[in-house]
Amino acid sequence: MAKVSIIIPTYNVEMYLVECMESVVNQTLKDIEIICINDGSTDGSLEILKSYAQKDDRIVLVDKENGGYGIGMNIGLDKATGEYIGIVEPDDFIPLNMYSDLYEKAVENDLDFIKADFYRFKRDSETEDMELVYNHLSPNKEDYNIVFNPSETPKAIRYIMNTWSGIYKRSFIEEFHIRHNETPGASFQDNGFWFQTFAYAKRGMIIDKPYYMNRRDNPNSSVHNKEKVYCMNVEYDHIRELLVRDKEVWERFRSMYWLKKYNNYMGTIKRIGEEYKREYVHRFSDEFKRGLELGELDESVFTKISWSNIQFITKDPNGFYMKKVATPVKVRRLTKKVEKLEKQNAKLQNDIKIIKGSRSYRLGWFMLTIPRKIKALFKGNK
Amino acid sequence: MSVKVSVILPVYNVSEYLRQCMDSIVGQTLKDIEIICVDDGSTDDSLEILKEYEAKDKRVKVIEQKNAGAGAARNNGLAIATGEYLSFLDSDDFFEPDMLEKAYEKGKSSNAQVVVFRSDQYREDLNEFVQVKWTLREKQIPPYRPMNCRSFTGNIFKVFVGWAWDKLFERKFVEENHLKFQQIRTSNDMLFVFSALAFAQRMEIVDLVLAHQRRNNPNSLSNTREKSWDCFHTALNALKDALTAHGNFWEFEQDYINYALHFSLWHLDTITGAKKEVLFNKLKNEWFAEFGIDSLPAERFYDKKEYAKYLKIKSNEFNAYYEE
Repeated sequence: MAKVSIIIPTYNVEMYLVECMESVVNQTLKDIEIICINDGSTDGSLEILKSYAQKDDRIVLVDKENGGYGIGMNIGLDKATGEYIGIVEPDDFIPLNMYSDLYEKAVENDLDFIKADFYRFKRDSETEDMELVYNHLSPNKEDYNIVFNPSETPKAIRYIMNTWSGIYKRSFIEEFHIRHNETPGASFQDNGFWFQTFAYAKRGMIIDKPYYMNRRDNPNSSVHNKEKVYCMNVEYDHIRELLVRDKEVWERFRSMYWLKKYNNYMGTIKRIGEEYKREYVHRFSDEFKRGLELGELDESVFTKISWSNIQFITKDPNGFYMKKVATPVKVRRLTKKVEKLEKQNAKLQNDIKIIKGSRSYRLGWFMLTIPRKIKALFKGNK
Repeated sequence: MSVKVSVILPVYNVSEYLRQCMDSIVGQTLKDIEIICVDDGSTDDSLEILKEYEAKDKRVKVIEQKNAGAGAARNNGLAIATGEYLSFLDSDDFFEPDMLEKAYEKGKSSNAQVVVFRSDQYREDLNEFVQVKWTLREKQIPPYRPMNCRSFTGNIFKVFVGWAWDKLFERKFVEENHLKFQQIRTSNDMLFVFSALAFAQRMEIVDLVLAHQRRNNPNSLSNTREKSWDCFHTALNALKDALTAHGNFWEFEQDYINYALHFSLWHLDTITGAKKEVLFNKLKNEWFAEFGIDSLPAERFYDKKEYAKYLKIKSNEFNAYYEE
């Protein structure tokens, strides 16, 4: 049995895929299985994966029609045979010692999962300069390097959410049949995976050493996609569905569910296009009104500002939209004016360039400047 | 031919309206359907009319039962249905020609287990159609899909109505969940419909008026409710049992209690005759407690007016309650 199965769900990432694959196949932990799911890429991703698969028999390549992240990930989970499971997004990469370090710690402590701090990076395409930001999973030092029971520590759900900065014991994933939402066209399916792993794990650990390198300069990644307005709502409906299967699990995690939902919906408002924002605020309001009506929100887990936002948005969604969301008309008008002036300015600059470059301008310059200089010479003599 | 929709139609002494109803079913633009007519021991010539249609149209199947009510008739029809979806219609109503086509296409394209569409009322006495908005409260339905009852932002028992004829149900889903109609005189479809709404993973709506419910028909069951004044109590209890058996009554309990109060008050307000006082006392002394209304904290009631009525009933005798 391989020590770690690494799942790489791949869709149209030819620009980044080689860097990712190099970082995985060259891991110092050799006893690994690499499951690449090509989710119907239309660029050269599949060819890149094929060439790796030919050279390295640890690679399992699954080529399927495009069906979305969740289905692809679930196929990977179904295929995995390793003792632990890791996930690498194909536009990211990892340091070569990541899985050997994590695996060693996981086995030593018999962990259901272990997660490490990570970096987010942007790389300038011309200069290759890398901008790195260290991300702490938790702001509290004392949360690190200890074995804790996630299923009884709902507040741990607040750690920075991602599914790829660690590894999961496969027998644990299978015991609770933890999978991703398969709704076609959905996004943010890692939220549901995150909630499930925390709701069911008995032994977890986070460590304060950074490994995973998460790219933030890929314009195609979904956070920049403005069309998928309600994907987050679909995912949170799905998470609720999973949690309410067991009354006790729901009771334990419902306040965290609403907290995460709030934070993600606030993020969604920023992410979506101006034309969707008012409608979104109304749906946000209706959902939270319902949550309050059912007595499911817990004030004590929210910050003061968040709680007052919830009061505001549920009582007066239009007011909330106007005051907190919509770009004020004045600002919009001024922005437009600035844009217009900038355009005019650019055009005038260009005109100046053309004029300065023309023969008649240069001739005129000589005709005016030379006599002036001679004049000045005479004046100076006086 | 694979049957796309099985129409199940219980028929009992409706010869006056039956032709209009049958014509609007056999004339549906969706052709791949079967029409299962269950004669519930009619004493007029309803059965003859059905046989006439059966002789003309192979898609019509007539089965007969001794008078046992619409609930039993629907279950008998359901038992022999072969369609992908099920449509339970009432024999005094009539339908838009594309009702089944629109609802079926919607259900099929989104793999929905329940499809709900709009309806209005045909007021026979006035000879006009009256809009009925509360059968589908679109403000409480999410603007995204997939949706199920957990994505509603209002009481899940009030977003749609507890009758079956403005909905299409996937047969596989109905069979897997062993959904059945109750054999009671009125409210016999409430258990079926609300269980379906609570259990469905995927629902869809068609935001068009596709069916017309006949009103002010003096023979209609809802006009003779005095005979079946306690059926809603039986139906509500059965719904609670079904949700409990499914393991999630706890999740819907608050909605259930609010709905039980709403439904109780509607019955009390609309029932006439000697049974009104009987119902008043039953509610006050037994059923409000049984439904969980007595033990729900005041702030958990959605409709403050209904809650005030409840308090008034609890603290008054029948005659005093109706004075003023």
